[in-house]
Amino acid sequence: MALSRKTKRSQSGAKPEPLTSDLAARIKRAQGEKSLAGDAEAASATRDMTGLSRGLRLGSEFIAAILVGAGIGYLLDLWLKTGPWLMLVMLLVGFAAGVLNVVRSAAEMNRAAPPPTAAMRVPDDDEDE
Amino acid sequence: MADPNKVDPIHQFQITDLVSFGNGGVSFTNSALFMALTVGVIGLYLLLSTQKRSIVPNRTQLVSEMLYEFVAKMVSDSAGKAGMKFFPFVFSLFMFVLVANMFGMIPFFFTVTSHIVITFALALLVFVVVIVYGFIKNGPKFLKLFVPAGVPAYVLPIVVPIEVVSFLSRPISLSVRLFANILAGHITLKVFAGFIVTLGSLGFLGWLGAILPLVMTVAITALEFLVAALQAYVFAVLTSMYINDAIHPSH
Repeated sequence: MALSRKTKRSQSGAKPEPLTSDLAARIKRAQGEKSLAGDAEAASATRDMTGLSRGLRLGSEFIAAILVGAGIGYLLDLWLKTGPWLMLVMLLVGFAAGVLNVVRSAAEMNRAAPPPTAAMRVPDDDEDE
Repeated sequence: MADPNKVDPIHQFQITDLVSFGNGGVSFTNSALFMALTVGVIGLYLLLSTQKRSIVPNRTQLVSEMLYEFVAKMVSDSAGKAGMKFFPFVFSLFMFVLVANMFGMIPFFFTVTSHIVITFALALLVFVVVIVYGFIKNGPKFLKLFVPAGVPAYVLPIVVPIEVVSFLSRPISLSVRLFANILAGHITLKVFAGFIVTLGSLGFLGWLGAILPLVMTVAITALEFLVAALQAYVFAVLTSMYINDAIHPSH
């Protein structure tokens, strides 16, 4: 009796094996799907990062550089007593730095959320990107 | 504020002393109170929700884990493996800004991040950390941050000042962005909410017209929640990007 139960158990133990034998593969597959979905979600979230916040970010980068440039020039003028000249020069440098900031952060945004490629693009998605 | 025709949207940002220590001007203000509350809530929530450390997390633990993973992914994406050394720093900043912004959305609560002193102090902290760690890690090579690769030597006198100004503008743009977003949002909210009261004082037709600003107020409130979360995210992302510059100074 005990023996038969034992064999039975071993039989029933053998039975669920197919259930767990491919468990690793199934976990891997599920994780792949999950991370894929997560990536897509994150990408769409950053793309939707709202035009408002993108605009504010670029604007503040630009203006901050100009202000810092002009401020440095003003302080140098106060220190060296060179009239308005260094401030004017540094204002222009600030402008250049602002443009640099904007270009950099725009490139950063594009890298974070690549513009949709031809494959991703839906047919009716024409010029409003 | 009892007079319905007098809308004072700036009043909410007033700093008042709650407890003063001596005559030196040192005092515990409402701003300090809400900063302490922010830190307290973050600490208590994270400690209590992760206390059980269950393998199958309950809801509160799940929120903590999601916050952790969110920031960890953000840091490792922008600053790489070496940047994970700064994970606690970025996580603290993110949580502080996020919870302070969210506190600001609760009526009668003081919004800590609507003062540039606070946001600029945070940005300056990031700035100093980047500079100090950059010099410790890379030594004088950190200055290569200001010299883009592949630029001919005769353009350098123009390019280097531009890069320096661009670098110095970072704490300004970082702090002004957060402060301006929160300040402008709260003022807009208050002004539109004030319209409701002002119109309401005109009688029945006024109340009818007040529906419009009411709808606007509801919509702006939702937008403000979005902005509050988004600005915390932006602050943390930019922090980790700047830290990336400190680790790998060449562009």
